[in-house]
Amino acid sequence: MADCSPWQPRRPCEAYRAEWKLCRSARHFLHHYYFHGERPACEQWRRDLASFRDWEERQSAEAQRSLCESEQARVQAARKHILVWALRQSPPADWHLPLPQEDE
Amino acid sequence: MAGAPDVRRPGSAAGEQLQQQHVSCQVFPTRLAQGNPQQGFLSSFFTSNEKCQLRLLRTLETNPYVKLLLDAMKHSGCAVNKDRHFSCEDCNGNVSGGFDASTSQIVLCQNNIRNQAHMNRVVTHELIHAFDHCRAHVDWFTNLRHLACSEVRAANLSGDCSLVNEIFRFHFGLKQHHQTCVRDRATLSILAVRNISKEVAKNAVDEVFESCFNDYEPFGRIPHNKTYARYAHRDFQNRDRYYSNI
Repeated sequence: MADCSPWQPRRPCEAYRAEWKLCRSARHFLHHYYFHGERPACEQWRRDLASFRDWEERQSAEAQRSLCESEQARVQAARKHILVWALRQSPPADWHLPLPQEDE
Repeated sequence: MAGAPDVRRPGSAAGEQLQQQHVSCQVFPTRLAQGNPQQGFLSSFFTSNEKCQLRLLRTLETNPYVKLLLDAMKHSGCAVNKDRHFSCEDCNGNVSGGFDASTSQIVLCQNNIRNQAHMNRVVTHELIHAFDHCRAHVDWFTNLRHLACSEVRAANLSGDCSLVNEIFRFHFGLKQHHQTCVRDRATLSILAVRNISKEVAKNAVDEVFESCFNDYEPFGRIPHNKTYARYAHRDFQNRDRYYSNI
């Protein structure tokens, strides 16, 4: 796990609140069930919101660590799948070239 | 245009809105046309080309899915220019659009795009292909798995398979139905650009599904609607700030 110090929160406080509120909504339940066939899990957003408030008010090191690890876990989860293709080091060379008929 | 397979740039990845019948490779007959003016049959106030251009402009300026994709592509070194990278054309069959990898251009089928919401979805779908082309070595021409992967991602992330769209297609299902839709539409998209059997296309989708369905780049999440897309865009804009601190 990467070092969490020095650390700056990835999102503002209102973003955690908005994510938690969205996660608990009936509409999100429907979307999530339609997509994944199961109930959404919103508890982590609630914990993160509580940690953010704790860190903001009391500069709690424990709260900061918890929040940092939670965000790192989200990043790791997003990278869990194996890629089918190789990533580029630079964009395609012909992306900005004029179209063939424009070149004639 | 004769039936040669390279007339339509074999590397193209077709868009959505496909009929059940197998669509031949002659989808974009005007790709090499010499500037024929596009006239709608009932021109009313705007021609179909003008409508396409206006809807495209509105999509690029206001749709949160598209704005995120444009930002992500710029970030990857593929800034999108409307006049260079988009083309409104008449297309055969019922295809709504496609990405032409050999010219790095998105084709919008002006005769098949019905309204603004449809344009939003088509542009999102094709920009996902363009984004994949920009960030990865996607072998559109000879690697069926690569094509299948990009089609799975496009069907998954563009809103093609939303509950409402599926209901309009009379495909009723709820629990995990989205995944069924993504598999089906990815298979149809492959069949539109490759002269292969449905089973081969389906097997390619099955092989890559687990990996590509869970690849949410650049959204970071499945954008169920515009609210999620806006949240995703906000997160994308904060990425640089976050990753500089890890």
